[in-house]
Amino acid sequence: MPPKKSIGAEYLKGLWNENPVFRQLLGMCPTLAVTNAVINGIAMGLATAFVLILSSLVVSSIKKLIPSQVRIATYIVIIASFVTIADRFLAAFFPPISKALGPYVPLIVVNCIILGRQEAFSSRNSIGRSLIDALGMSTGFILALLLLSSIRELLGSGSFLGHQLLGSWFKPWTIMILPAGAFITLGVLLGIALLIESKTKARSV
Amino acid sequence: MNLSARMIVVLTAVGLISGSFLSVVGLLTKERIAMNQQLEIQNAISEVLPSTKTSHKVFEDESLTIYESRDENDNPVGFAVYASGTGFQDIITLMYGIDPSFSKIKALTILEQKETPGLGAKITDKTSFLRYWEGRNCEQPLSLRKPAVESPGNLAPSEVNAITGATISSEKVLDIVNLSLERLKEIKQKGQLSSEEKNAT
Repeated sequence: MPPKKSIGAEYLKGLWNENPVFRQLLGMCPTLAVTNAVINGIAMGLATAFVLILSSLVVSSIKKLIPSQVRIATYIVIIASFVTIADRFLAAFFPPISKALGPYVPLIVVNCIILGRQEAFSSRNSIGRSLIDALGMSTGFILALLLLSSIRELLGSGSFLGHQLLGSWFKPWTIMILPAGAFITLGVLLGIALLIESKTKARSV
Repeated sequence: MNLSARMIVVLTAVGLISGSFLSVVGLLTKERIAMNQQLEIQNAISEVLPSTKTSHKVFEDESLTIYESRDENDNPVGFAVYASGTGFQDIITLMYGIDPSFSKIKALTILEQKETPGLGAKITDKTSFLRYWEGRNCEQPLSLRKPAVESPGNLAPSEVNAITGATISSEKVLDIVNLSLERLKEIKQKGQLSSEEKNAT
């Protein structure tokens, strides 16, 4: 077994070294689909964080009880329950956001980041470590969605969080808020992430 | 306990606990979600018929609900029509206000849609779409103007602007309105509008 990381490193790995979007390429569906406006990106990030953190807590606390043959089914039931709670909560208290995200809130169930963390981490680590891991991954996911949605909203609508930033001289690049724009932005960001990674590796050798 | 018994017990237990937890959450949020919908309808009525003081349902079936609206002096303001139909991707639900003689659309608002974000979803946008519906003559079916013109004054009396890049979504909204207008006139001719039981909303 690899040596245990410090608590800080356990949290920080989600932000860069094992960032769910830029390094693990997990959860691409919501990443590409809802990042056309910053508010949607933030709401999706927070909803996913809620589900990830609570699922990690539950899975890590009952991990010894679950027979490994039915572990995936059990994780899915747990995850789906928290997703439904998040969905109902948004519909009851934040109807506009619930409307904007539409089917993508229920689709958090199939977000690979969440199932992936249960399988790779919470099912074999303590409750405390799983919580830190889930917090780190959630922060990494929220930051990635924030970055993507900021670029796309700024270029695609000339605004940030709905406030018009760029003047009338700016002709919005409509493609940026379409699916194609999501792929372009993600591709460019992945390229930059790999470039930074290879530069830092070259330096450390 | 052997393995298969353990698998059954664990999955059943997890399912039961999750299920009971969810039914509690469902019960707790049900009223609020219903209230939000009710509030949304009332807000939509006052949006499409701004001088509304009271409104009540005068007709309802699967695809169409009609509310009659009256101002503070109990004079009829018009009817608010709640209609839905297929859009480009999913159901579009909308509401529009119409004067008592069914000759002019006062305003239109979109309540539910899942059109393409940034394109078809602009049907909810006041400045690029909805404002061109205000005061349209609806004695004959409305038609779509493409390419869109900047000033509402350049449109024919029963024309509305299409959204650039989202012709289908614009057409679908138009279809829903035209179809409901047709049905509205039919319902009125049959005298079903006033015979309905008046439920205060």
